[in-house]
Amino acid sequence: MQRMTALLLLLLFQLTAMAQRECDLHIEVSVTEKHNGQPLFPVVAHIDELNRTYETNERGRFTMDSVCAGTYTFHFHAAGYEHHVEQVNIVSSGEVRFKLGHVYTNLEEVTVTTERNATLLQDKDKLNSEALARESGKSIGDMLQSINGVSVIANGATVAKPVIHGLHSNRIIMLNNGVRQEDQQWGGEHAPNIDPFLASDITVIKGASSVKYGADAIGGVVLVEPAPLRRQPGWDAELNMAAFSNNRMSVVSGMVGHNFNKLPPLSFRLQGTYKKGGNYRIPGYWVANTGVDEKNYSAALGWNKLHYGAEVFYSHFSTDLGIYTGSHTGNQNDLNAAINSDTPLVPADFTYELKRPRQHVEHDLVKTKMYLDSRIGMWHATYAYQHNYRQEFDVLRKESDKAQMNLTLNTQTLNLNLEHRPLWKLTGEVGVDGIVQENFIQPGDRLFIPNYRSRGLAGYLLERYKGEDWTLEGGVRYDYRWYELFNPEGTSGQVVRYVLDYKNISGTLGYVKQLGTRWKYSVILSNAWRAPQSNELFSAGLHHGAARVEYGNRDLKPERSYNINGELVGMIGSKLKLDISLYNQYIHNFIYLEPGTDLLTIRGYFKTFGYKQTDANLTGTDVSATYDWTSKLSTSFKGAFLFARNVSQKDWLILMPADRLSLNTIYTTDISEKLTKAFVSVQAKYVFSQWRIPQNFDQIDYPRPPGAYFLLDASIGTTIMLGKQPMELSLTTMNILNQRYRDYLDAFRYFIDQPGRNVVLRLRVPMNFDNNKKNLIDEIH
Amino acid sequence: MKYINQIAMTFLVSTVLFTACKKDNNTILENPTVNEEELITTLRLVVTNSSGFNKTFNYKVDNGIGNANPSTPVIDNVVLSANTMYNVEVQVWNESVTPAEDITEEVKSESDAHLFLFASAPTSGAGAITFNNGSKDAVGKPFNQTIECSTGGAGTGSLTVTLKHQPTDKNATTPDAAGGETDAQAVFPVTLQ
Repeated sequence: MQRMTALLLLLLFQLTAMAQRECDLHIEVSVTEKHNGQPLFPVVAHIDELNRTYETNERGRFTMDSVCAGTYTFHFHAAGYEHHVEQVNIVSSGEVRFKLGHVYTNLEEVTVTTERNATLLQDKDKLNSEALARESGKSIGDMLQSINGVSVIANGATVAKPVIHGLHSNRIIMLNNGVRQEDQQWGGEHAPNIDPFLASDITVIKGASSVKYGADAIGGVVLVEPAPLRRQPGWDAELNMAAFSNNRMSVVSGMVGHNFNKLPPLSFRLQGTYKKGGNYRIPGYWVANTGVDEKNYSAALGWNKLHYGAEVFYSHFSTDLGIYTGSHTGNQNDLNAAINSDTPLVPADFTYELKRPRQHVEHDLVKTKMYLDSRIGMWHATYAYQHNYRQEFDVLRKESDKAQMNLTLNTQTLNLNLEHRPLWKLTGEVGVDGIVQENFIQPGDRLFIPNYRSRGLAGYLLERYKGEDWTLEGGVRYDYRWYELFNPEGTSGQVVRYVLDYKNISGTLGYVKQLGTRWKYSVILSNAWRAPQSNELFSAGLHHGAARVEYGNRDLKPERSYNINGELVGMIGSKLKLDISLYNQYIHNFIYLEPGTDLLTIRGYFKTFGYKQTDANLTGTDVSATYDWTSKLSTSFKGAFLFARNVSQKDWLILMPADRLSLNTIYTTDISEKLTKAFVSVQAKYVFSQWRIPQNFDQIDYPRPPGAYFLLDASIGTTIMLGKQPMELSLTTMNILNQRYRDYLDAFRYFIDQPGRNVVLRLRVPMNFDNNKKNLIDEIH
Repeated sequence: MKYINQIAMTFLVSTVLFTACKKDNNTILENPTVNEEELITTLRLVVTNSSGFNKTFNYKVDNGIGNANPSTPVIDNVVLSANTMYNVEVQVWNESVTPAEDITEEVKSESDAHLFLFASAPTSGAGAITFNNGSKDAVGKPFNQTIECSTGGAGTGSLTVTLKHQPTDKNATTPDAAGGETDAQAVFPVTLQ
């Protein structure tokens, strides 16, 4: 009771104190987007001293009446924006303006997003929307090559998969719009079924990252992130076009976004891409049956309130790909004949027509995501359904429309994630992952992997402590995965059922320290694991392209990797930027193919390979440096080196990317008000010949890895202002010298050269129709 | 708390919706039936001559691909008289099914996309077989499904018979020069006596 009286007295005293001050001020508050000055709403502003909360109207404003002079602390909250705190000293009536930075577009604070929802302190690199625009029309695998430490494993010019620090396919994870892509990654000729035009940026996390992204992320993770849905009322749109000379390929992609004026939480976006290319050309020759025909579309609908919201996303990817006719060899002699021939064995002219062998692949994704900002923290729930359908059309004697393989992979995933509110200086997240999957062929197909169903459950915790100039991060994850497989065996095709399960713990520990204002270093320890895939366990099939038979091994155990990564980033003087990264990855039970005894078939003898396990060690470095000669002219250097050892056999590992260097010089300038951001750039790339090969190479592979090559690309472009409408136009020439070369990681290295010169014309038109434009102009005048 | 309930409800509903429509996949999933399309197991030589000789020689390899334990191949010794003329017909069979499937007719109906090639080792003299006058395809180019041969002196050697699909050069006399894809290749031991 005594305490109550004291409190009342205190209150009374305060009230009288306030009454004595001037308390009739009228304050207009406006909140705008930091970069484009657009009014923001809804934004919640909380004022500590008044203990009052306001919300902005559609003009990004609110009014405070009868305010006393004094110092006030404003807190601003808006979805997609940084939590902004600012102290303001109010002395008289008037307008107070605040600017909020969008977490996605704020380049200096790129890590804000990733730190919040995505990542780990791990070594990562990003292609932002500008970089993606420069590469538009290429496949996602090809685009990622511009990231240091990333190369591609390919099947000619049309199928490219990213290789991160020497690891690829089912050793890396692709996260498409927050959902783990499940699309038959095990096959070397299975490119990721993702439309890169969906992305506003693509991030590559290098090294083991299982804790956050789940099992299999031994080599790293590729995050494909679309832009957030539009939050200001009005329309925006974007048109992308690209024309490639080499295979006469056209790519058109369009996007429309809208936020409803009458219903501010509701936004949508529609997007579609069409791509058609014909046979591509290597110096001197057309390559038979290498066309591509791709149609993709997606739709997103969002309901975003300040503290909760939901989003539904649907995307459809569909592609038809021809496979170079000459890569389909009948036996070892055919293969050797193709290898020993300097010219392609199958003559061809240009055509858009696709013949057998070819593939048709469809990928559908339905995703629903909900979030809720509660007192405990930010809750996210994401459910996704993926349907992947892959058809392979083999060369046949009989005319037929039938595919010889019809593979269906259906996946459902559920993720629940809580980013808890900071506990003192501790931020972090905790979550649960669930997966249900089924994979099956159609009756009467040719067999490569058995049918299976699988379920998995995982839980993780990731915490981060921020000190003055350092950050410490630690995480742990537990995975359980269960498989039930149905494998037809023997000459009668008797179905045998197998049940397998795997449990594993993975962890990460990272430390980042700022050294003064210019330097920063990080050390990350992490581990990851991967269960053997059904092709590694059970495959018994012929690879036509390599004329060899692969046998699965049912005794395979999961791979476990232990990764250490150190990175140093900083500036020397004001002009030289440096980024040096060193990594070492030890993989216990690394699964690889070892040659076995030759197999006699009706087509003659074939080399056979069986899946075996060893301990492997991958050491490497990625170095990059950028020097700004002037504010307009800059040169950047990149180098990536990898030493991949088979530790048990004291030998090199086969099929690892060769070392590479690249040098890029760019000059950027604004010519006039009508011609802005004009640029000229030249890129040189040198790839060494891979000499680190196992001693028994000649018995298992022929010929030796191809020689080193040097490529020169050049680009010129500008942004043209047509009134207020910008148009970005660029012309790029790849392989200017029309160089003949082959790449060790391209399965077509046996048969044909890499593509010759390719001139690309690109046009990008971003459009913005704001309902608020008029208001904004009124305010300015 | 209200929101959490809403979220939970929506998820429950969507999960039920997605799982409801996948029941019929289960039978397909649990009973994979596979079929190696256009499988060839056997190349058969039917050798005749005007003096009433009539014998068949088989080169049979059961489905070696797609089966981790291939059966032992059956390879007949081609035993012929020395210095004699014969007519040879090559047949193509799939004997992994019952009744065995004769693929020869199919190959003949696409004679312009197929080519049989014969190679003897040694190429001449004792143990050699020489081939000529092979049958032609629909457009008059070599097809060689039926062919004449004459044997050399008594001795042993080997005979390689190759069936090429979509050869790039139909006039070629060796598999490498013919290009295309090898559908079957049989290496018979030869005894001329």
